Amino acid sequence: MGSFTSIIMKEIKELIRDPKILFGVVLLPLLLYPLMGQGIQISEQAVQTSVRGAKFSLYTDDSGQVADAIVKYIMTNNTVTRIQANSLSDALVQFKNSDSVALVYVPNGYNYNITNGGKGNVKIYGNLKNLNIAEATGAEVAGSLVNVYNYYYSLAIIKGLSTAAGDTSSAVAIHDPINLTYASIIKGNVVEVSPSQVTGLIMSQSIMLPIMVMMMVIFAIQMAATSIALEKEQKTLETLMTLPVGRLTILAGKLTGSIVIAIAGSISYIIGFSYYTSSAFSFAASTTSIDLTGAGIGIQPLGYALLGIVMFVTLVSALALAISLAVFTDSVRSAQSLTGVLIIPLIIPAIILMFSDIDMLPAAMQWILLAIPYTHTMLATKAAFLGDYWLMIRSIAYISVFTVVVLWAAAKIFSTERIITSRFTNFSFRNKRKQSTA
Amino acid sequence: MGTAIKVGDLRKNFGEFEALKGVTFSVEENEIFGLIGPNGAGKTTTLRILGTLISPSSGVAEVFGHDVVKDANKVREILSYLPEDAGAYQYLNGEEYLRFMAGFYAHDKTTTEAMVSAGKEISGLGERLRDRINSYSRGMKRRLLIARALMIKPRLAILDEPTSGLDVIQAYHVRGMIKDYAEKMGVTTIVSSHNMLEVEYLCHRVALINEGVIVAQGTPDELKTKYNSVNLEQAFMEATQLG
Repeated sequence: MGSFTSIIMKEIKELIRDPKILFGVVLLPLLLYPLMGQGIQISEQAVQTSVRGAKFSLYTDDSGQVADAIVKYIMTNNTVTRIQANSLSDALVQFKNSDSVALVYVPNGYNYNITNGGKGNVKIYGNLKNLNIAEATGAEVAGSLVNVYNYYYSLAIIKGLSTAAGDTSSAVAIHDPINLTYASIIKGNVVEVSPSQVTGLIMSQSIMLPIMVMMMVIFAIQMAATSIALEKEQKTLETLMTLPVGRLTILAGKLTGSIVIAIAGSISYIIGFSYYTSSAFSFAASTTSIDLTGAGIGIQPLGYALLGIVMFVTLVSALALAISLAVFTDSVRSAQSLTGVLIIPLIIPAIILMFSDIDMLPAAMQWILLAIPYTHTMLATKAAFLGDYWLMIRSIAYISVFTVVVLWAAAKIFSTERIITSRFTNFSFRNKRKQSTA
Repeated sequence: MGTAIKVGDLRKNFGEFEALKGVTFSVEENEIFGLIGPNGAGKTTTLRILGTLISPSSGVAEVFGHDVVKDANKVREILSYLPEDAGAYQYLNGEEYLRFMAGFYAHDKTTTEAMVSAGKEISGLGERLRDRINSYSRGMKRRLLIARALMIKPRLAILDEPTSGLDVIQAYHVRGMIKDYAEKMGVTTIVSSHNMLEVEYLCHRVALINEGVIVAQGTPDELKTKYNSVNLEQAFMEATQLG
């Protein structure tokens, strides 16, 4: 086995046998995301079950034919209990102490208003005992009961009036004379899907992808920085530097070992995350079943290939940057706090580009963001989704140039004594006098 | 027998701080040479220059005729360096560590296995070599590291404070390992220490270093006679006029 392979194998063994890395980077995403997904699914199902069995109350202090009709309609729902009380405040006390999630209140004047051509008032009170989604949804279900009645009652009134006037038009057509539908033109193709559904789908993808990229790069940075800092802390790096092996071989071996583990972590992350999205959002089938591949939206094989290259150069640059910075530290803790700074240029473009397009930003902000190499990673992930391969190639070129510069700097640091003598502890340079332990 | 190490007017500055102010000494082949002095005297800086880790600001440092700066790669092939308080890869086991390190010097499997076998014997750790290094005591780690340094049969072994932080029994074993192996295999060894008694036991010749300057050098007996002292500790105090 050559020196390069030996260093890679050692690096992989060290990283994979470290319980913190094995658990945090490889196993945790495989366990955490499916558990989160299951948790969301279970809680959503619990909400649905709870809403289906939700109990409602009804109170009215009005009477008359029209008021009795709505009361009778609502009471056909067997989960509704009618509250008998002398006043609304008494009724609310009873409602508060009941297990009903909503109270439908038909106030005095409802009957009069409607029979005199006005609007009848109906009020719904939600009983938010635990401030949970099931309670709020229950109140909305009570509202929809009233809305259904409202719609058909409106149709009945229209039908009565039009019959009296000798009009044979459809009551439904008079109620909603315009039938509005949406379609979108995407890359020259007409798709029978509303623009908001298309952007909603793209948003869900463009939020997920930057998060995945960000997480992967953060794993890699922390791993590489910890690995170098540990070598410095234990002086194993000092020993390595006196071995008959090129310093660039040591750098390349450490980089490769970290890349292998980072890729394993990314795969585990992607598996965990895809399980999370499929299980957590399985109830929202209608929003995820939109097929836009025919419209040229969705990652094609070439897009996947370019995305792979983008991820690779991003990883190498982040690892080289982490290693270059970590050599200036003398402990794992100081390396982690120093590389924490590196996470800022990753998070800023990720968050901004999640909610906005770079072209929408002010020119100065655009230039600042474009100067950060990881902005190009985010742009490329979006471009992969839209099939803009030229933008992806430009992103690869920019990140590659940055990577070459960082690798050159890392190689320079590795080939000088600075790797042994540099100290950067908790953001304060020590006195140079202490740089040597002479 | 020739000269193994030649150091002449060696100077090293860290910014404005002068760590070495013209160090000169030489070490003969197969000799165990001690560099003794207090903390901050310049021992580690001298050894790091000889170990090709850092470059001198000026002066000469040669190992078996190879300049440590110009011929650093050739020097690395013939030396073995053990830093002070060094650790080992905690998630490898002892045998894996020895094999990993042997791989840099051996060019075939037979040589690698011969080196690993020598390392196992020198360390005396037996079955514990199959355990992960993070389960080793400080003394066991030091024995493993010294075995690693010596198993490759280097022409020069540089051992910086080899018994630092070890208790009396562990230090005794480690000193014994170094002396036995270096003398048996004819390995030129340079040892730094601030433990004068240890150096007196281990070394054929010693250099007393203080504040970046060699204040005296010779065999332990020569130094004791020169400064009319009962041991090297007293000789050091006399030589540095601190006593």
